[in-house]
This record gives sequence, C-alpha cells and structure tokens, in this order.
Amino acid sequence: MTGRRARRWAGAVAVVVLLVVWTRARIDGLSVDTQATNPIVRWEWVFLREDTRTELWDATLQHLRLTFIAVGAGTLISAALSAIALRLRWSLAPITAFTGFLYTIPSVALFGLLRSRFGNVMAAEVALTSYTLLVLVRNMVAGIDGVPAAVTDAADGLGLSRTRRLLTVELPLALPVIVAGLRVATVTTVGLVGITAIIQLGGLGSLIFDGFGTQYFTKIVVGSVLSVLLAVVLDLLFHGLEVLLTPWSRRPVVR
Amino acid sequence: MIGPLLILAGGRAGQPSNVVEWFTDLESRASLRPIPEQVWLTVWHSGVAVVAVVMLALPLAVVLAHHRRAELAASWIINIGRAVPTVTIVGVLVIVSLRNGFGLEPWPIIIALILLGLPPAFTNTYAAVRGVDPSAVSSARAMGFTHRQVMTRVELPLALPVMFAGVRTAAVQIVATEPLAAFFGAEGLGAYLRSGLSTRDFPEVQAGAVLVAGVAIAVELGLLLVGRLVLPKGVRMHASAGRAARSQRREAAPATI
Repeated sequence: MTGRRARRWAGAVAVVVLLVVWTRARIDGLSVDTQATNPIVRWEWVFLREDTRTELWDATLQHLRLTFIAVGAGTLISAALSAIALRLRWSLAPITAFTGFLYTIPSVALFGLLRSRFGNVMAAEVALTSYTLLVLVRNMVAGIDGVPAAVTDAADGLGLSRTRRLLTVELPLALPVIVAGLRVATVTTVGLVGITAIIQLGGLGSLIFDGFGTQYFTKIVVGSVLSVLLAVVLDLLFHGLEVLLTPWSRRPVVR
Repeated sequence: MIGPLLILAGGRAGQPSNVVEWFTDLESRASLRPIPEQVWLTVWHSGVAVVAVVMLALPLAVVLAHHRRAELAASWIINIGRAVPTVTIVGVLVIVSLRNGFGLEPWPIIIALILLGLPPAFTNTYAAVRGVDPSAVSSARAMGFTHRQVMTRVELPLALPVMFAGVRTAAVQIVATEPLAAFFGAEGLGAYLRSGLSTRDFPEVQAGAVLVAGVAIAVELGLLLVGRLVLPKGVRMHASAGRAARSQRREAAPATI
C-alpha cells in the first residue's frame, strides 16, 4: 500500500517536473525575435510596470463587486422563493422549472439582451443574479427538507413557533447544504463575470479580452490565472465560513 | 430639445429600429454572413464537440467508476472543471493557437468547447454507474452473467437516464457557449451580438440574443424529446424515480457556463 502510494506520488512529481521542463524548453526554444516581440508572459509588465498593480487591483475589485452583488441579491430572492416553495408545496415545481429555464438561457445572449434595455452594470447584475437562483433555491429547499422529521417534531413538542423553529432549528441544520449551494453559485458567478467583458465590464475577464484584442498574451495569462485563483479562494472562504458556523459537524452532510 | 433627437433618428434611418425589422431587412446585415450559415457554423462546431465529449467522458467515467481507487482522480477532474472559467479556457486556447499559427477556426474553438463539456458528462456518468443498485448487479452475477454482460445489460441500461441527462447538460452548455468564440474573432451565431454590441445597434443585439437563446433552447428541448423516445420506459427518470436519482442529478448540476 505504502509502496503504491509512494509510486503514485513519484509519478505526480515526475509529471510536474516534465511539464516544467517542457514549458521551459518551449520558451527557450522560441526564436529570439519572437520571444522579444511577443513572449507569452512579459514579467516586467507584471512586476515592474507602475500601473499594473492598480489595474489588476481595480479589475479584481470590479470582479468581486459584480460577484457579491449578484450572489447577495440571488440569496435574498432565493430565500423568498424557497420560503414560498416550502409553504406552498405545489409551487416548487413551477419555481424549479422557471429557475431552470433562466439557467438555460445562454449567458452571452442574456447579457446582450439586457444590455439593450439597461445600463451595462444593471444588465450584468440582473443576468448574473438570475443564474444563481437555480442552485440556491434547489439547495435551500433540499437543506430544509433534509432536516429529520424527529428533530422538527421535537421542536414542535417544545412549543416552538413556526418562525422560531425555522430560525433556531431548521436553518442551522440546513446550513451545510445551503452553504454548498452558495459555494457553487459563487464559483459559477466568478466564471460568468468574466463573460461580462462583452458589455464593457468583466473584471478580470476584461484583461483576457483586452489581451486578445491587442495580442498581448501576458494580459490573457494574468487574467486567467487570477480568475481561477479568485474562484478557488472564494470557494475556500465559504468552506471556512461553513466550518465556523457549524461547529457541531465537521463534515457537510450532503453535497 | 427635439433637434438632437431628430438628428439621432436621422442618423439611424438606414438601420432597422426593432428586432422584427432586423429580421426582415436583409440589406442592413449585408456585411455579416446570412443567418442559416451562422447557425450551421455554430451547430457544426458544437456537434463535433458533443460527439468528442461523449467519446471521451463516457468511457473514462465508466472505467473510473469501476475502479474505486480512482475516486481521487475523478473528483479532481470535476473540481478543476468547475473552477476554470470559460473565458480562461478560450483565452488560453487563443494564445496556444495563435502562437503556433493554427488560426482560430475551427479546432481551437472545438477543443475549448470539448473541455467545457467534459465535466458535466463525466460527473453524471460517474454518478450514474456508481448509483446502480448493487443488488441488481449481484443478482445478475448470480444468474451467471459475465463481467461484460453485467456492464452492457444491467449497469448501462440502469445508468442510461442519468448519463443522458449529463450529455444533455453538456450539449446545451456547449451550444450556449459557442457564440462567445465570435468575440474572439471567429464566425458563428455570436457574430450578430458582437457586431451589434460594438456598434450599439440594439435591434441587432436583440436578434442575435434571440437566435443564440433559440438554438440553445431548441437543443435542450430536442434532447429531452430524444430522451423520451430513446430511453426505455422502465428506467426513465420521473417524479416517482425516488430521491436517489434526483439527488444524483442535484450533485451533477452544472456549475460552469
């Protein structure tokens, strides 16, 4: 067993080393003038140029702002929709169908369509918010539904009102599932924000589009790396939040 | 007050002022390729990508689902696929193809679309095969089915609905994303959106959006219909299929567009 594991690790390390060597060889192998005129990454642009830092910072901030407003608004709307769905059972199917339909509309089309009616920030936020609804409502309903009947019965037996039961019993128990939904929604939104570059927003995505427009590969690479990093960091942050908020369970119940 | 407005309107006199006019006025979009050609490009790119996704993701997922040791690799593929934004995939491929002189059409686009479609198809197939009722498998074994027979006659039919849902998700996502390639200089349905957004010609933008959304929704509905016709009634996913199938679908929900 240990031998096998060691071999696997050795394999992984070998792959990484090979990749690094190969990339180095590729970069070194490019003829000097291509390297000079258009290298894949101009490190001096990343680290030495004065304006780069503010540009990257602004792009990241815009990305975060677009993401958080959309996820925040999505959470509020989803909470309302879930409350309706949980109260009136028959409304669950139409609500799911509607949010599913919103999710099917291609992002490029929705951004364009809304942009022809609203300003670009409004268009982006409306579209981004509508994409978060499916996952959020689904997980909120599943989370509350997943609370064992014995627990809710016990709460009723203690004489808790319906609101109090929801706030103090059901919501905390449903939290892991709800947070799982929030994580997926956030990571998705971070990805989608990049596409809002087509309506002159885009945060880090605009770097990619700019880089393409000017054939400046450095911007594409930096924009790509930073947006992946942003998604991973936000995902981990939400995971941390979940661990902090549910000290009684160290692992999520349902993913 | 009215003067500038008139000038504005006069400046736009040659252009259609709403979507219907855009569709009927052929001259206004003479600079772009005709609609059927663009639809065909989008469908063609997406079709090749979907076929490739099916050929890559399904066998891989079936094999990995049988070797429990590969669980780590499987969850890796899924998580990486989810975390990488579409724009990043397209951007990186643009670099690779332009640097190596391949141009943009059609292979780099298709490869990007394949990368995009792999996670949902893979996840669902994996979950479907893992979710097959073990008692069905063991009773098939007890009846003397060989390993291959178990796979093709028991597991595959039982896993088919969830697998098909995954392929459908992948296909819709691919068709919905193909138009993005137009913003990187390719042709296809996104060209109307690109040109409309760059010249602030909103009827054109709306028409492009309607076309893109129409194709995506048509693919979704079409595949739903195909699923209805092709999948055996007994294994089809419906309301009474129980929580298991539904929770699998939930788990396999797409996370990137």
